[in-house]
Order: sequence, then structure tokens, then C-alpha cells
Amino acid sequence: MMIQLFHLTKVHPSGVKVLEDAFLTVAEGAFVVLAGENRAGKSTLLRILAGEDKPTSGRALIHQKDPYALSPKEKREWQSLNGFIFPDLKLFPDKTVEENVLFPLRVRGSFEADPKAPVAQLLERAGLGAKAGQKPADLSAAEQRMGVALRAMVFKPRLLLADDPFAGMDEKSARTLWKLFAELHKAGTTVFLSLQRPEDLASAGDLLNETRVQMVHLKERQLWPVGVGE
Amino acid sequence: MMNALARFFYVLGEGLRQMLRSKGLSAAVIVTVAAALFQLSIFLGLDRVLDRALSSAQENFQLVVFLSSSAKGADRDRVQSLLGADARVASVKVVTRDEALAEFRQDPEIDQMIQALGENPLPDSFDVTVKKEAVGHVEDLVALLKKDPQVDEVSYGKGQFEALSRMLALVRWVGAGLGGLIFLAALFIISNTLTLSLWARREDLALMNRLGAPSWMRWGPYLWEGFLQGFLGALLVCAFLALFHLSAGWLLRVFGGFTELMDLPLSDWVGLDLTLCALGAALGALGASLALRKKWVWEVQ
Repeated sequence: MMIQLFHLTKVHPSGVKVLEDAFLTVAEGAFVVLAGENRAGKSTLLRILAGEDKPTSGRALIHQKDPYALSPKEKREWQSLNGFIFPDLKLFPDKTVEENVLFPLRVRGSFEADPKAPVAQLLERAGLGAKAGQKPADLSAAEQRMGVALRAMVFKPRLLLADDPFAGMDEKSARTLWKLFAELHKAGTTVFLSLQRPEDLASAGDLLNETRVQMVHLKERQLWPVGVGE
Repeated sequence: MMNALARFFYVLGEGLRQMLRSKGLSAAVIVTVAAALFQLSIFLGLDRVLDRALSSAQENFQLVVFLSSSAKGADRDRVQSLLGADARVASVKVVTRDEALAEFRQDPEIDQMIQALGENPLPDSFDVTVKKEAVGHVEDLVALLKKDPQVDEVSYGKGQFEALSRMLALVRWVGAGLGGLIFLAALFIISNTLTLSLWARREDLALMNRLGAPSWMRWGPYLWEGFLQGFLGALLVCAFLALFHLSAGWLLRVFGGFTELMDLPLSDWVGLDLTLCALGAALGALGASLALRKKWVWEVQ
């Protein structure tokens, strides 16, 4: 299993409870879309899965490992297996778009000139080819989001966690990103993404025809696979 | 191997880029290092000059052994053999009473005094050059010579030599003390300046950590940046010293200043430059590693 959540409860410091004794199992290679109302706790759940927000109680296992029980070094190694697309994960302001996308490959020890070719290809496909040499400040917000997404996908992570990745994107960009997600999933990555607006799923169109999407609703502090809680 | 080399160049490139990105802070560190090293260079230069002077005094350390007026030619030969056989003696030159008289008479006043006396009052003597490594044990040799009944007096520049040794020791102690304080003060300033630089990039640091960047990738460029800034500060001082050496030397000679500094051989100047570069690089790298140990830096992650 890629993700296993047991008796997961999360109470924010403000006292707001967003998860209460929640359970979830996600198989390796699954494509999960997490839906829920605004402020339901989707982002909190994704941050828990990313090892960035410790649950109040219960246990989260990702790749059979509890990220909150790892040493800092082990945690960095664990993090390097996953790709994250979070709203607060910006691009490095002083690196070019290409350098930003190359960064995870550097982290993983790849310093040859070779990775530049696939990165250039990826940027081209995402519509950022012409802006590869520019700094993030020269990009629109949507382009920056696309850059963050490419950085999270370039190294073909085992698990991709994406929190509302289509926010601020036009339909064309959103479709491009869906396409990249579908390809990544096909290559074996487990994709777990949250959607703020249901219409974002519609923008995928036929791109997910060959993908078995597992819908999960976060509702009343519980995780409901679609069809069970509706 | 290629990957290790590529990582190394990555760290070098990132450090250089970071340095150029925050030009103001980098300039502050470079100037601080240069100011500290310039003060240290004064002590280091003085140390070299005194060391050279002491070394020269050691190399040319001489005793003058005066025989008694009753000493015969056989006594002179015996003492000469004694000195010649001594392992501490580098060379012995006999100065007969007639040779000594001839030398003294070159001064007209002394010549008149000797004419008045009517006879040569000077004894035979020996100019003895002591080996450099035996200078510290010269008193044993003097004591041995004084035991000889035909040796009247042994004269040597003990006071001058000891004064020079004491001055060198003093300069070294004061230099080490003040130099240490200057080094620590500079370290404190550099560490705080580099902390500012880290603070300005705290979001990048947190981001790198969240992307799983290993330690060498996060900290390597900062250490290299500190090293480089320290080294550049040292180069600034070296350039200043070279300029001083080239342009101010004649001034010192004309106005009779501290010409000993200008007379130092090139190897000493190069040695001074290398010492300053090593100190500068150490200062920068240490300052950077101290900055990286700040509590908030660890909390950022």
C-alpha cells in the first residue's frame, strides 16, 4: 500500500477539528482525487501526508513509513521520493525556470548535462519552453504554478501530492497539466490530488479515460470513498 | 567520480552566485576581513623583520678573546687550538698585538696616546665566530675560556642579543594576543554579517529542505561563500601590501624609515601573503560555519 491512515485525528491549534478518527487506504499506482468543501481540511490532510503537519493522534504510513518517526536525514531521503505541489511551495526566485525544474534532479545526484534535454522537452510541452531562461518573477502566477508542478514531476516520484494544482490556470494550461498527470500515473506514480472546484475535473475531459480515478470526499471530518458516504 | 566533481562545481557555482547576488553584504564581509588582516599583517611583518634581525645576529655572533699581557706565543697557539677544536666555534681569527696596534693607530688621537706610552699596551686576541646553533650555549664556551689562566677577558654582545630576543618574544606575545582578539572580533562581525545573508535566504533554505535537498547542497554553498569572501579580503590586503612595497619603499629609504621591512627577501613577502590568505579563508569559512549553527537556522528547517 502507498498510503495507510489509521484513526487519524487532527485538531488545529485554534481548536478546529478537521479530521476525526479517519481511515484511508490508497494502493500503489492509484490516482486519487480528494474533494471537499472549502476549509474542509483537504490541505491539512495533504500536509499530513507530506510529513509537514503532524496529526494530533493516529498514524499515517506512506511507503510503509511513518514520516513523523523518521530522523531528519531519513525524512529528507523520504521526502526526496515524493513530489509536492503545494500553494506555498514557490519556485526559487533567483534560479531560472529551467534551473528550478532541474533542482530535484540535482537533489537526486544527477549532474550530467543529459537531464537538460528532457527538462527542456518538458518545459516545451508545458508551454514554458520560451521562458526556460527567465526568473520566476517574469512569469505569470499560473506559469509559476506550472513550473512548481513540473519541478514536482520531473524526477518521476513514487507519490505525487498536489494541493489544488489548477488554481489560477486557464483551461488550456489545466488540460496540459492533466495530461502530464495522466502520463506520470501511467509511468507508475501514485497521484493524490485535491480539487477545490469540481469543474477542474471536467477540464480533464477524455484525458483520464484510461485512468481509474478513485474519488475521496472529505466530509464531516471523515474520508469517504465515493459511493460509500454519498 | 564525475558526479562528485560535478557536485563540487555545483557548490562552487552556487556559492559564487549567492555572493554576487548579495553584493552589499559580501562587500561588508570582504572589507571586514581585509581590515582585520591588515592589522594582523603589521604584527606579522614586524615579526618577520625581528626574526630576520635575530637570525642575522645569530649567524654573525662573535666573541673577542683577549689573552693576558704575559701570554707567550705558545699560549696563543694553545688557546687557538682549543678554540679550533671546539664544536661550537665556526671560525677563529688571530689578531696579534702588533696587528691590533696597527689598527688602533689609524685613529690619530689613539696614535698620540700610544706614542706617549712608548710601548704597545694591547694583548693578542682572537675574533671567534660562533656557530648559529650554538649561540644559545655561548655562556658555557665563555666560562670554559675564562678558566684558562692566560685568558684575560672575553667580550661579546650578550646584552644586544638578549634584548633582540626579548623584543621578538614580546612582539610575538603581543601579536598573538592582539591578533587573537582582532581575529575573534572579525569572526564575530563576519558571522553576524553572514547570518544576515542567511536570514535573507531563509525561505530558500526552508524550500530546499522541503524538497529533500541533502546537507552538502544546503550548506556547502554558504561555507564556500564564506571561504571565498575571506580569501578575497586577504587578497585585498596582499594587493595593498604589494602596492606599498612597490611604491612606498623609496619613501622609507629617502626619509630613513623602517627600511628593514623593505629589505625583507621576496620569500618572506610571499610567506606573509600566503599566511594572510590562509587566515582570511579560515576566517570566512569559520564565520560561515558559526552562522550556520545559529538556532533559528535549524528551526527554519
